[in-house]
Amino acid sequence: MGENGAGKSTLIKLLVGAYQRDSGEIYFSNQKVEFDSPAQAFQSGISVIYQENSLIPQLTVIQNIFLGMESFTPLGLINEGKIYREYLDISKKLDFKLPPYEEVRNLGVAEQKLVEILKALIHKAKFIIMDEPTASLSENEIEHLFRIISELKSNHVSVLYITHILGEVFRIADRITVLRDGKKIKTVFTKDVNRDEVIAMMVGENLKDTYLSELVRIKKGQQPVLKVENLYRKPRVNGISFEAFPGEVLGITGLTGAGKTELSRLIFGADKLKEGLILINNKPVRIRSPLDAVKNGISMIPEDRKKDALILILELYKNITLPTLAQFSGKGILLTAKEFDVTQYFIKKLDIKTSGVSQVIRYLSGGNQQKVAISKWLQTEPRVLIMDEPTQGIDVKAKVEIHTIVRNLAKSGVCVIFVSSEVSEVVKVSDRILVLSQGKISGEFKHGVSQEEIMRTILQEDK
Amino acid sequence: MNKKINLNLKGYSYAIKKNGILFIFILLCILLSIITPGFLSWTNILNILRQGSIVGIIAIGTTFVIIGGGFDISVGSLLALTAAMSVGLQQYMHWGFAILLVLIVGALVGMLNGILAAKIHIPPIIATLGTMTILRGLVYLYTGGYPLYVDSPNFSFIGNGYIGIIPLPVIIFIILVIFWQFILIRTRFGRYACALGGNKEAVRLSGINVDLYHILTFVVGGLMASMSGVVYASRLLSVTPLAGQGYELDAIASTVIGGTSVAGGEGSVVRTLVGVLLLTIIANVFNLLGVHIYVQYVIKGAIILSAVGFDTYSKFRE
Repeated sequence: MGENGAGKSTLIKLLVGAYQRDSGEIYFSNQKVEFDSPAQAFQSGISVIYQENSLIPQLTVIQNIFLGMESFTPLGLINEGKIYREYLDISKKLDFKLPPYEEVRNLGVAEQKLVEILKALIHKAKFIIMDEPTASLSENEIEHLFRIISELKSNHVSVLYITHILGEVFRIADRITVLRDGKKIKTVFTKDVNRDEVIAMMVGENLKDTYLSELVRIKKGQQPVLKVENLYRKPRVNGISFEAFPGEVLGITGLTGAGKTELSRLIFGADKLKEGLILINNKPVRIRSPLDAVKNGISMIPEDRKKDALILILELYKNITLPTLAQFSGKGILLTAKEFDVTQYFIKKLDIKTSGVSQVIRYLSGGNQQKVAISKWLQTEPRVLIMDEPTQGIDVKAKVEIHTIVRNLAKSGVCVIFVSSEVSEVVKVSDRILVLSQGKISGEFKHGVSQEEIMRTILQEDK
Repeated sequence: MNKKINLNLKGYSYAIKKNGILFIFILLCILLSIITPGFLSWTNILNILRQGSIVGIIAIGTTFVIIGGGFDISVGSLLALTAAMSVGLQQYMHWGFAILLVLIVGALVGMLNGILAAKIHIPPIIATLGTMTILRGLVYLYTGGYPLYVDSPNFSFIGNGYIGIIPLPVIIFIILVIFWQFILIRTRFGRYACALGGNKEAVRLSGINVDLYHILTFVVGGLMASMSGVVYASRLLSVTPLAGQGYELDAIASTVIGGTSVAGGEGSVVRTLVGVLLLTIIANVFNLLGVHIYVQYVIKGAIILSAVGFDTYSKFRE
């Protein structure tokens, strides 16, 4: 267990050889092992089931399970009969029913997870790692998954179950290891601890530091710059209403899959709104595309920097001036010197480490790329700036810098909506915090709330 | 210290990668001028330029389409249709109006290609495969399957005239290259076209009307193909229904040999000009050496594969 950013996923990737470790040793079945790639780990009997599944949707259940392990007839044809018998054996052993000849894309998410587990077993997995397997499952499906995990246990397969959902751990784990800030805090037997003790281990003690020298006080009668009413886009956004004020940092947090990214994209017009109302300065506006959003003073820095925010093959200045290129155009001709000036200004202001304005940004570090994405949007002088996981995958120093930028923005009157699943940073930078669970707001807090309290609200829904 | 050297090396190999085609081109020219004494003469250079200008004008448009992340194989057939129309329409109107009408048709066909790709989301190569077939059918319908002829000295001047010692098609080609290179690097449309080919979703999320600019790249493709159609018709003063077959492939080949990335986002009209000249010169030399046309096809294909392979493989290695 551990919070987002505690190092859970990195640890797994080190275990199976997806990342290279700096030092340390790994023992598997009492033997020292050295994996160069997840494929190698897989062949040795360690199998990882990620949040997103890795099946081939067009193939059938059986084809997926036996992929790479097919039996052949002497003529080199696939021995369907033998494969089917093997499949029956294992389904009897684990006590489940799946339509063997159905294409995987027609199955539910839980059934797909099951197919992945079966695939692991057929490949003789002795150790199965599940990385937040319930993130996209319904309550019934979770129940089903847990039954299978118990079956696995009785068949002498070990399961390493990664999650930040407390309820799940207490239902299925024999032992709990808590990670925080890349370190192991403690390993305990589940029967020896209660929920509050585990939360305390996850959160740690040093909660008091904060970036706020002065809190933004929303005056009585002040008008919200952004107001949303009953936003819907099922299944991830199920009726969300809130107000956001000029000069405040509104933190939005919740588990992976709670609807944070979807909500951000809705307000920005990146996805189509199914139902609901967006008001800017108390006037309803129609936002059908990011273009409309920008015109109304809303900007968004997307979660996936490389995929959605930046053009990696282009130069730094071209990325920064992209949304505001009209301002750099005189009589239809681009004023490149002016573009350079503005880029230079942001390099200095946000301390972007680069060899120059014409550096191709593919070569920048993650933190610096994020600063480019921020600069790009500051250019538009937004009234509302939505930042979706702005510190994901960047180092600690850059993270602190970005927090400072966020606070300074708020001070200058921008309304910053700070979306992050890392509770510790949300607590630090936000004036107000909304907690999302299953596409709804499940709690609202003021600055000064403890991390524990927010964690409790987040976890509450998953009893 | 080590880091700095690495960075420099990176920049150095980048420069070679970016301008490799230019080195090859210059090397080839030096080599040929030694082998063939008359190679660097004005007449020969102008000759090569004139031969290259028809495909070259198409290739300007192709460069825009490919930079924007698209692909257009309909331009050869579009050349045939617009060439046939600029001949045929002169029965009814002044050749100047005929040209104007033909250019509008070219732009509209480009727009159609763009809409099919950007709005209907047909993969561009398939969308333009469809319009290519339709356009070739229209050429047959329009010409009735026979060559069309025109006799108009003024119209003929476009393809056969000279200003000073320079053939007019060459002047048109060079002016268009300069104009569109300027558009590409100094206007918003050019910048958006590159950005689009680099990462369309990021451009959309930057609040830019991506579909519009995506369609516009195809409009440039159609416009340049019809411009080339006019020059073609005026040069030959006759158009057969088979005109322009395979020109789209030469245009694409010139573009990618000129270093425009097939993945989109990077490219240059001027370098496409170099690509055009390179292909034309190679064809010239082969003809002089008496290499059979069938063999020329094989070699041309190999050149295209090497040029694109170099680009894609070095990207993959990164």
